[in-house]
Amino acid sequence: MEVTAMHFKRKAAENLGDEKLQQALEKLQTKFVDGRAAAIAELPNFGEVRDAAAEIRDKVVRHLDRYLLHFEQEAAARGTVVHWAETGDEVNRIVADIARQHGLHKVVKSKSMVSEECGLNEALESQGLNVLETDLGEYILQLAHEPPSHIVAPVVHKSKEDISDLFSRHHASPRKTGIAELCREAREVLRPGFLSADLGISGANFIIAETGSVLIVTNEGNGRLATTLPRVHVAITGIEKVVPTLEDATTLLRLLPRSATGQSITNYVSVLTGTKEKGESDGPEHFHIILLDNGRSQLLGTELQPMLRCIRCGACMNHCPVYQNIGGHAYGWVYPGPMGSVLTPVFVGLENALDLPNASTFCGECAVVCPVKIPLPDLMRHLRHQQVQRHLRPWTERVALRLWSWVARHPAVYALFTRAAVRLLGWLGGEKKMLHHLPGASGWTKGRDMPAPSGRTFRELYQARRSP
Amino acid sequence: MRVGLFVTCLVDLMRPSIGFAALRLLKNVGCEVVVPESQTCCGQPGYNSGDRKSAKSLALKLLREFKDCDYVVLPSGSCAGMIKVHYPTLFANEPIVLESIKRLSGCTYELTDFLVNVLKIEKIPGHYSGTLTYHDSCSGLRELGVQAQPRALLAKMPGVTLTEMQNATTCCGFGGTFSVKFGDISTRMADKKCANITQTGAGAVVAGDLGCLLNIEGRLRRNGDLRTKVLHVAEVLAGMEDTWK
Amino acid sequence: MNARENILARIGKARGSSIAADVDGEIRRHQRGPIPPLEDDLVKRFGERAVSLASDVARARTITEVPGLVAHYLIERQLPMQGVCWPALAPYGWNSVGIELQTRAARGDDLVGVTGAFAGIAETGTLMLLSGPETPATVSLLPETHIAILDAERIVATMEQAWDRLRVERGALPRAVNFVSGPSRTADIEQTVTLGAHGPYRVLIIIVG
Repeated sequence: MEVTAMHFKRKAAENLGDEKLQQALEKLQTKFVDGRAAAIAELPNFGEVRDAAAEIRDKVVRHLDRYLLHFEQEAAARGTVVHWAETGDEVNRIVADIARQHGLHKVVKSKSMVSEECGLNEALESQGLNVLETDLGEYILQLAHEPPSHIVAPVVHKSKEDISDLFSRHHASPRKTGIAELCREAREVLRPGFLSADLGISGANFIIAETGSVLIVTNEGNGRLATTLPRVHVAITGIEKVVPTLEDATTLLRLLPRSATGQSITNYVSVLTGTKEKGESDGPEHFHIILLDNGRSQLLGTELQPMLRCIRCGACMNHCPVYQNIGGHAYGWVYPGPMGSVLTPVFVGLENALDLPNASTFCGECAVVCPVKIPLPDLMRHLRHQQVQRHLRPWTERVALRLWSWVARHPAVYALFTRAAVRLLGWLGGEKKMLHHLPGASGWTKGRDMPAPSGRTFRELYQARRSP
Repeated sequence: MRVGLFVTCLVDLMRPSIGFAALRLLKNVGCEVVVPESQTCCGQPGYNSGDRKSAKSLALKLLREFKDCDYVVLPSGSCAGMIKVHYPTLFANEPIVLESIKRLSGCTYELTDFLVNVLKIEKIPGHYSGTLTYHDSCSGLRELGVQAQPRALLAKMPGVTLTEMQNATTCCGFGGTFSVKFGDISTRMADKKCANITQTGAGAVVAGDLGCLLNIEGRLRRNGDLRTKVLHVAEVLAGMEDTWK
Repeated sequence: MNARENILARIGKARGSSIAADVDGEIRRHQRGPIPPLEDDLVKRFGERAVSLASDVARARTITEVPGLVAHYLIERQLPMQGVCWPALAPYGWNSVGIELQTRAARGDDLVGVTGAFAGIAETGTLMLLSGPETPATVSLLPETHIAILDAERIVATMEQAWDRLRVERGALPRAVNFVSGPSRTADIEQTVTLGAHGPYRVLIIIVG
């Protein structure tokens, strides 16, 4: 996907002024925030399960190659072809090769954020393949030529009216207004696609080392259809998605739907292993799994390693007060919110996403809700540290921080400087004791006043009281 | 026991009354309070901006200043969190200094947490009368578990009626330099917080961190609300809510 | 060096010389994680959870009662009295209640699908279906109405127990294990849950025994 993370501030500003989007984002609160809270409350041993889930993911990340090799061996034993890709382009090439090898032309896709990293759809279309997104949200985005704004609810930014307009335009059918009607229309439009496709492409929520299986969770049924009907199935996923055993997957499944949508379990959980069995009427004849690196292995052995525990639930962005106000498109790439603020700079280059790790108050809510205990604010702080080390911060900022630090280390200078500053600000505040403008801080004063200081510092007042 | 009071740079500059309120609360219970006069900044601004070096040097300065104290108390969840949670991280790879840093962290407290859980105070010097609503500052809440303590203290004041706002634990949008760097997002977050405050009908909003209070008051006043008082919990408890005017 | 080698090399280098874990042994032992406590009456729990996820649930004492229950269900909702079923379910007298079922995989225009189930998971009210030559996956997926006949004795407390049953009874995983928790649904439009996306609009679970 094209990177527009460098335009974060502008897009955030636009989104703040977008009434429709703001209304759509408010729905996130009730649905996902309240939903998660209720779902967690009804899991009696939530704390224990979360500890176990974090440990499973952490253990995998620490011994990633061992688990991947075990997975590869088991998958191959069941007739699955396992491919490895370092970049998104390699993934696209592998899929195109598979399509050529088997003479495939029509693709149905079940949602895959990894495929967005690769820009897979465009690449396949340029090779002459017909690609149909089948997850309702992704299908809507395909019609609208827009990227997703959330990793679980990709069209959270669109209203029912937007979708009615899109459908009536693209389906050449009378405009439907009810949500149920719109869903029925999508079902009818997409079903022939499922039935006539020869290549099904999916992601994988987890891959299971014990059995060489791919695990996919969906609610719509499109994941099942896309991986059952076409004669070739290709699953694409990140190398970090491996889990050791079926039991480990089960533990993680107790938290993934709860954290994502407030469900105790998604409607469908599919564990897919190998190809169509002898005598079976359904199922792919060929099953390929592509393991993508694309920068993930660079996180290993660094302070950012915990990010690889991520199970892509979306809880962090649902609960992030910054995301709640600006939506996902402002983040300018595949992954928005707190997890996107860590992954995007890592995957697309620190210098291309400078604002992302800085656009956080470190309120900590993301870390509280993360089912696998990723210390997201610490990781964002580490990226800020990297920016400083690589001299990517504006010189004004560097100078200001250096100055403050130096002054703070020299109490006598600090005393002079601060006494002068508060007298000035106190004076500027006037009778009302309120500042409406602050030089160098228009970011504050554009929308807020600043209560003026009293004009004396605590230290000088304290000293005065102590020595009458 | 010697209690060292670190007022924080924001309080020092912008609202000394909070420092004096903390002093009164601690002395009222008979603490021997020292206020190391060379204190300046805990290093959080630099730390959160990615400048670990300057944060470490300010940490070592603070360590020196407070080394003779049995406790270090701050009227700020975010600065207390800096010392308790982040100082050990900063020095994780320096075992010699880490010992002293851990000792410092171990005896550092946010003010209301100290009053409730260490001093276990029963009598509150202040005489506030009116409805208050409490905003939970993020670091205090999530790094230090400060939530019940300020409410417990306010509940001991007979004239106080505490009413809870919606989304009391949602960030007000301050976030240090975030408030300036991402001013429009910050202002929107402040706006939502102010709407929640106004909706309670309370005469005052109270919190434990001056950064939040400046942000909230700044937005209230710009919105035309000159009535709602914006107070630090120390000021209310110490009966010093008017001294800053 | 190809991609596989490069990736494994990078991972190995980052891991450095940390102690090698007994990954194979750990996987062989497949230890369970923390399991939430459940009430004793698993059938009741299964039924309640399935209903809360918008499945319809009925009880039959024996398999012979099932066709009648299905006929009643279909007639009540004015649904067609014909569809497809798994071979194992064919011999139960469907014709005598006016239902015509063909024993084959489902096609895009089949409206009713009747399957059995390998197990029921009481914790979440979930059906566990295994694919196979005698248990085509499409029968539970393509039709608008899915009817699942579940032996009460095959209701287990949690997914962990279902995996163990599968290991014992089958040895290896089939091509597809599908856990089904109600009718297909989507909430992509304005976060409003709508039943009936690409899979069935309704699911009837008949617990037998």
